[in-house]
Amino acid sequence: MKLEPGRKTKERLEFQAEYAAALRDYAMGGGEAVLGRAYELGRRAIAERKSLLELASIHHQTLKELFQNSPDRRSQTHLVNASSDFLSECVSPYEMAQRGFQDAVKALRQLNETLEEEIKRIAYSVHDEAGQLLVAVHLALANVAQELPQAQRPQIAQIEDLLNEVEKHLRRYSHELRPTILDDLGWIPAIRFLAEGISKRANLPIHIETKLSGRLPGTVETTLYRVVQEALTNAVKHARAKSIWIRAWLKDNLLHCSIRDDGTGFDPQAVQASGNRKGLGLVAMRERLSAIGGTLWIESSQRRGTEILIRLPMEDNHVNQSSAR
Amino acid sequence: MEIRVTISSDQDIVLARQKGRSLALELGFSSGDATLIATAISELARNIVSYARNGQVILKDIQGSNRVGIAVTATDNGPGIPDVGQALRDGFSTSGSLGLGLPGVRRLMDEFEIVSKPGQGTTVGVKKWRL
Repeated sequence: MKLEPGRKTKERLEFQAEYAAALRDYAMGGGEAVLGRAYELGRRAIAERKSLLELASIHHQTLKELFQNSPDRRSQTHLVNASSDFLSECVSPYEMAQRGFQDAVKALRQLNETLEEEIKRIAYSVHDEAGQLLVAVHLALANVAQELPQAQRPQIAQIEDLLNEVEKHLRRYSHELRPTILDDLGWIPAIRFLAEGISKRANLPIHIETKLSGRLPGTVETTLYRVVQEALTNAVKHARAKSIWIRAWLKDNLLHCSIRDDGTGFDPQAVQASGNRKGLGLVAMRERLSAIGGTLWIESSQRRGTEILIRLPMEDNHVNQSSAR
Repeated sequence: MEIRVTISSDQDIVLARQKGRSLALELGFSSGDATLIATAISELARNIVSYARNGQVILKDIQGSNRVGIAVTATDNGPGIPDVGQALRDGFSTSGSLGLGLPGVRRLMDEFEIVSKPGQGTTVGVKKWRL
C-alpha cells in the first residue's frame, strides 16, 4: 500500500492539533472527561501505528508550545503537573498492548521449544524405531530366502534392494528433521552436513570457512542451526543464488556467523513488514536469536545479493568448552 | 462501599473512570496503577456502549487476608458473547489484535472472570490488589 505524499504528515498534524487542544483543556481544569479523551487519543495512536517515540515527541512539542504561552510561573507549574497525568493516561493503552506482546513473545518461545522437542522425537523414532523394524524385515526375508529354491533368489535380492532404499530415505528424512550430528558433534558439523546435502540437491557450491570448534549449550546450538538452515533455504529458494558462503568466527567475545549469497537480493524492511511467509521467516529468525541473546543483521540489495549476519555474545565458559554439556 | 454507575453513553464512561480512579487512590494505589485501573474501566465500559448499549459498572473495595484491592464489575443485558474463548483471544477483534479490548483488560488486572450467555448479557468481573 502506497500512501499519497503528505498524507502521513497531514494525519500527524491533525493528531497533534487534537492532542494540543486536549492537553490545553486538561490544564484548564477539564478533569476526567479530558483524561478520557487522552485515553482515546492513545488508543487511536496505536490503531494508527504511531510509535511510542512519535507520541513522546508530539507530547514534548505540544508541551513546549503551551509552556511558552503560559502567562506566569504558577500556570507553568500547573501545566507541567497536568501534562504528566495527561501523558500517562495517553500511554496507558500502550502499556496494555505491550503486556500483550510480552505474553505473545513468551508463548512463541515456548512453542518453539515444544516444536523442537517434537521434531526431535519424530526424527529419532523414524530413525531408530523404523530402522529396527527394517532390520527385522531383513532377517525374516533372509529366513524365507533359505526355504526358497535358488531360482527365486534374484527376486528376494530385488526386495532387499528396495528395503535398503527405504532405509536410506528414512535416514535422510530423520537427519533433515533433526540431524543426530547436531546433538552428537555440534552445530558446525551439523551445518557442514546440511550444506553438503543442499549443495548436492540444488547444484550450487556452498563454501564454509571457520576455525571454530567446541560445543555450546544445546538450545544455543539448535537455534544457530535452525537460523542458518532458514538462511540457506531462503538463499536457494528465493534468491536463486549461484554460490553461498558461510563463515563463523569469534571476535571480542562475540560469535559471528555470516551467510552470504550472490542471489537476487530483496528489501529487508519491506519484506519483514509485508507479513508474508518469507517476512515471517526473517522475523522468526530474529526472534529465535533474541531468545538466546543474539541479534540478526540483514544486508541485501538487488545487485549484490544478501548477507545475513548472526551475532551472539559468548560467556567465557561457552567458548572452546569441549563435549561437556 | 459500593459505587454503581449506569453506562449508556461516553459521558458515563468518563464518570465510571473518575469514580474508579478516586476509589483506587483512596485505597492507596499509586497514580500509575490508578491510571491502569481507569484504563480497564474504559475498556469494559466501552464494550457495554458498543455492544449492549447500556449496562452498569460496579466498583467495590475488597479485603484480602493481608491486602486490599479494588473490584470492578461490568454487567449488561445485551446480546451476550457467543464464544467467550474467542473474545479473549488476541487476534479475534480489531482492538484485540492491538492488545487492547478484553485480552488487554485481563493483562492489566490481577484477576479476571467473565460470564456470558447469548441473549442474556455479559458480566465481566476484574480485581486488582494493592501490592
